[in-house]
Formats: sequence, C-alpha cells, structure tokens
Amino acid sequence: MSGAPRPWNLVAELTYRCPLRCAYCSNPVDFAAVGDALDAATWARAFREAAALGAVHVGLTGGEPAARRDLETIVAGAAEAGLYPHLVTSGIPLAQERLAALRSAGLRSVQLSLQDVLPEPAAEVAGGDFQARKLAFAAAVRALDLPLTLNVVLHRRNLSRVAEIVALARALDADKLELANVQLHGFALANRAALLPTRAALDAAARAVAEARAAGPRPEILFVLPDWWSDRPKPCMGGWAQKTIVIAPDGLVLPCHAARGLPGLAFHRFPERDLRTCWEDAPGMGAFRGEDWMRAPCRDCPERARDFGGCRCQAFALTGDPAEADPACSLAPRHDVVLAARAEASSLAPPPPLALRGASAGVSASG
Amino acid sequence: MTPAELEARLRGVGAERYHDKHPFNQRMHAGALTPEEIRLWVRNRYYYQTRIPVKDGLILAKSDDASFRREWVGRLHDHDGRAPGEGGLELWLALAGAVGLDRRRVEDLSGVLPGVRDACDDYVRLVESNDLLASVAASLTEMFAGDIMRTRIEAFERHYPWVDTAGLRYFRSRTVQAPRDARFGLDFVLARATSPEDQARCIAALERKCEILWRLLDAIEAAGRRPRLSRHAALRADGPDAALVVLPERAVRINASGAEILALCDGAASAAAIAERLRDRHPAVPNVEPDVHAFLASMERLGVLESAP
Repeated sequence: MSGAPRPWNLVAELTYRCPLRCAYCSNPVDFAAVGDALDAATWARAFREAAALGAVHVGLTGGEPAARRDLETIVAGAAEAGLYPHLVTSGIPLAQERLAALRSAGLRSVQLSLQDVLPEPAAEVAGGDFQARKLAFAAAVRALDLPLTLNVVLHRRNLSRVAEIVALARALDADKLELANVQLHGFALANRAALLPTRAALDAAARAVAEARAAGPRPEILFVLPDWWSDRPKPCMGGWAQKTIVIAPDGLVLPCHAARGLPGLAFHRFPERDLRTCWEDAPGMGAFRGEDWMRAPCRDCPERARDFGGCRCQAFALTGDPAEADPACSLAPRHDVVLAARAEASSLAPPPPLALRGASAGVSASG
Repeated sequence: MTPAELEARLRGVGAERYHDKHPFNQRMHAGALTPEEIRLWVRNRYYYQTRIPVKDGLILAKSDDASFRREWVGRLHDHDGRAPGEGGLELWLALAGAVGLDRRRVEDLSGVLPGVRDACDDYVRLVESNDLLASVAASLTEMFAGDIMRTRIEAFERHYPWVDTAGLRYFRSRTVQAPRDARFGLDFVLARATSPEDQARCIAALERKCEILWRLLDAIEAAGRRPRLSRHAALRADGPDAALVVLPERAVRINASGAEILALCDGAASAAAIAERLRDRHPAVPNVEPDVHAFLASMERLGVLESAP
C-alpha cells in the first residue's frame, strides 16, 4: 500500500428505499430497518468534512437516491464542497426535468443500472418492467451532455447476451459500460444457485467483450473474470478503509457498503462524531486496515500487496469468519467452498427460481 | 506479370495511396493552411529530408554493380551537395528561412514530432531490412513527385505570397530530379522483378513507402489540433505542488510542469504552438517539444483533454 489511507471516494448512501427489487441487491438484507437519518444540511456537512479528508468524488447512491425529494439540495451541497457529484441510479423514478435540475445543481456524471437488454428477463430480475423508462432516461442523460456509465450485473440468466448489451450501450452513446459479475453476498447469496454462471458461459462472455473492445474505443468496457473463477481474490475496495468511505442512510460510516453485516465490528455514526474520527478512529475501520490482521497464508504471501487479502465480506459470507482468508483464493484453507460453488454452477440441473428483494422484510419468492 | 503490367500496378499504388491525396496536402494545395501550419510542415518534413541521403547510402551499400552505384550516388550529391552550402538539404533550409523559421532550430531537429520521427525512421528501417530490389521499389514514389512539386509551386505562388519565391528552389529542383531518378529506378525494378514473388515484394514495398509518407502527414495534422481541458474535467489543487484533474470515476494527478502545460490548453493554441511556447520558456531544458507532445497525447487518452472543434 503506497501512502497513508485517503478516502478518495465518498459513497453516500442516501436511502435504502428503491422501486426495484433486484435479486442481487447489495443493500443489507435488513435494509428496511435502516431509516434515512441524514437531512440535506447534514449531508452537506459530511461532504465538506470528506473533502477535508481528501475525498475527490462522491457517488450518490442508495437504494435509489432519487427517492429523496431533497436530492437537488444534496447535489448542490456536494458541488459546493468541491466534490465531483456522480449519481448512481436505477433511472426510476427520475423525470427528465428533474435530471436537468440536478445538472444545474452541480451533478457531473451518471451511472445507470440496466438489468438486461431484453425487457422480460430484466423484469424478472428487477420485479417490474422498467426497461423503456430506463432507456429514455439514458437518452436524457446524454442529451444533457452528462457522461454516462451503464452498469449491468452479469449472472447466469443474462450472460449469453453480452454482445447485445454492448450494442445497446453503443446505441445509447454510453461512455463506459461496467459489466459487473454478480457477487456472492447480500441478497445474491440466497440466489447463488440461480445466479452463478458456468465457466464456459463466462469464457464466451469474455470473448464477446474482447471482440467489442476491438471494434472501437467507445464505450470503455470494464469486465474482469469473477474472483471465484480466477483462483485469486479481488483487490476489494483497494484495501479495507484505504481509499473509499461509505456513509449509510442512518449515518453509519463504513469502509464498504456491505461491512455493516460483519459481526463484532464497531463503527462510528455521523454526525454523532465528526467524519475524521469515524474514518480514522473507529475500531471497525482499523480491524482490517493494512496487513496486521492477516493470518496464514496471506501474511507471508507476496501477492498481499496486490490483492490486500481479498474481500472480508465474502470471507464472512462463505466461512462465517471475516478474518479468514478469502475463499476465492486457491491458497485459502476454505477454498473448498468456492470449489463446491463452481461445481454447483456447472451442474446440469435447472436453476431454482429467483428470490427478489422484499419490499419490507427479508425476501419473497418469484418465478 | 509483364513489365508493362507491373509498371501499371506500381503506378496504381500511387494513384490510390500517394500523399497528394492526404487531407493536409489537399489543404496546402488549396491554400487553406495557416502560416503556422506551413512552418510546422517545413520544420518536420526537414527530418524526412535528412533521412533521404542516409537511406540512399544504405542502398548504395547493397549493390555490387559499379554502374548502378555511379548512377545512384548522384542522389547523394543532389541532397548533400558537393560543397557546404549546396544541395537539397541546403535548399530546404532556405525554404525554412523563407517561411520565417530560424534555420538553426530546424537543423537541430528539436521540434520534430514523435510521430514524424517514427515514420521517417521506419523508412530507413524498411531499406535496411530489405534487399536492393525492394529498396529501390520503395523509392519509386519519385514517379509521382514531379506532379506534386509542380502543384506545390503553383499553390505557394498563388496562395502563400508571404513566402519568398526564392524559398521554392527545392521544389523546382525536384521537378527535374525526381522524374529522372524515377525513370532509372523504374527501369531497374522492371528489369529485375520478373518472378511473381519479386513483383509482389516490389508492390508491397511501394505501398509501405506510401503509408510512411501518409503517417508523416497524419502526425503533422494531429499537431495542429487545439486541445482544451475536457468539459467534464474539474481542475483542483492537491497539496502544494500538485493538481488533480477530476473526471467521472477517475482522477489524474498532475505535477507542476504538467499543470503548466495544461494551463496553455485553451482550445485556441495548437499542440505545436503550445510545445513551442514551452520550449521558449525553458531554453535550457532538453527535449521540451517531444515531451510536451507525449504529455498531451497521454492526457487525451485519459480523457483529460479534448480537441476544440
């Protein structure tokens, strides 16, 4: 790790409310119990304190950030603090007029999620048909000359359509296309068997990406083989509490959006304490910062400087112990869990139905 | 192919790919270049001129035939002269003076664009790595040079009256030399390239040469672009002697000299003009201009800079 920890990027989770019910939502499974505790003025203060800590970008996310009626004021607060406001949205329920107002307030760039290129499978994942509105929203973003990133979570049910997804991103004049392989925690864990793709399908997708990249520079395509097929863990968050700071809707300050679910970690809450204290002094922030926490084989591994020991949330989700070596790594003592998941993903049995994110509590079943 | 068919194929390469069709030359001949663009071209094309006697020396060394060498050495005399102050290179420097350039700054090659250098060095490498036949074939762009020189003289007299016509002597000398040299080279190639393989190699060598001349102009044209900070970029200080250019989901750290370059990227000044200004500001620093061009190219790749329309 070069240099002292610096929260370059602030992830501002404005609310966990969302009109979509994606089966792989990365919000906490008990999201409904987390209220929106921070008003716009408090967010503005958080933005100023984050800038003082060295933050440059702020991702305004959720849930669906546009579910907040004061989003314009919040964006203005971020811009006034000198941050570069980036909206991470489902595109629902944003109207074009509101997008223009957000741009006037200082919004600089937009990430729009798409669930699929086809409306029907997209609706099965999101729990409703939003596709036409999303495409209209993408056009509105580009009409305002805002840089557009499309984010598509890849999984067993849409992986065969990567070429079509790229073509759609081109047609929408997206600057960037983030093809994010589904991760094994949060709601996705409950849907593991329905979402995990086979290795053959991933390889075919990788070839489609390579062809799309060769066909032209736009959009820039982000795609990496998922860690549980690549034998080495991902350099999660660029290291625990090193480069990113997350403020949850209830003010809890975290090193990543999923860290709330880890047991035995104490984090501070903003604005009960100032942001510097939340970042520098919270016991949970220090728990996995740097390398002192590492066990064998990580602590002697030459690759620890590259992957920082992988993902703590994945380690907990798959082994029950967040300090365990990330099972994605072939050197990890519990790599057998990932091998079992690979075998499960490659089985010929028809995948089970998806369980969508529940509107109030837990999850509910859906075909 | 018969010799006549081969000649037709070689002429076809020129008809299709010779750089008289390059947009930069088209604009030059239509009178659309600014004085700054003319100077940029003269200064950079000088590097190509310096490579010609080098590649002709390489070709000489490939021949075992005294009569060939006797003829070919004439090209060295044409370019280098038989005494200081004579020859084609000297005439090119006179052109440099006529368009308002300081000849020492042309001669020292300090302003040669990286892309121009690459293209010209590729020509020398092409001759180095090929046999005599293909090397002579590569020089056959001379078949098309007489016409372009006449067009150029006319264009300069008509559209660029600020250039002293005494500066055009290089072009005039080439209207005589190029057709004569081309005749010799063509006869040589037609007599020796009799197998299909040799004929194909000769055609390919001439195509490569056309591509090199084209790339040279691409690089010059690119240096005329007018960079400015991307409209999506936010520039902010980061510590005492660094700045950050903030872009969507990306930030680029810039040191003090980078910030000095970016400050000149106003969408009005060309890349070449920016490089020249910085060279003038830092006369003691070597390689300022190529470094500036490399920096501008990397900033464009990262999305920090865009070109003004």
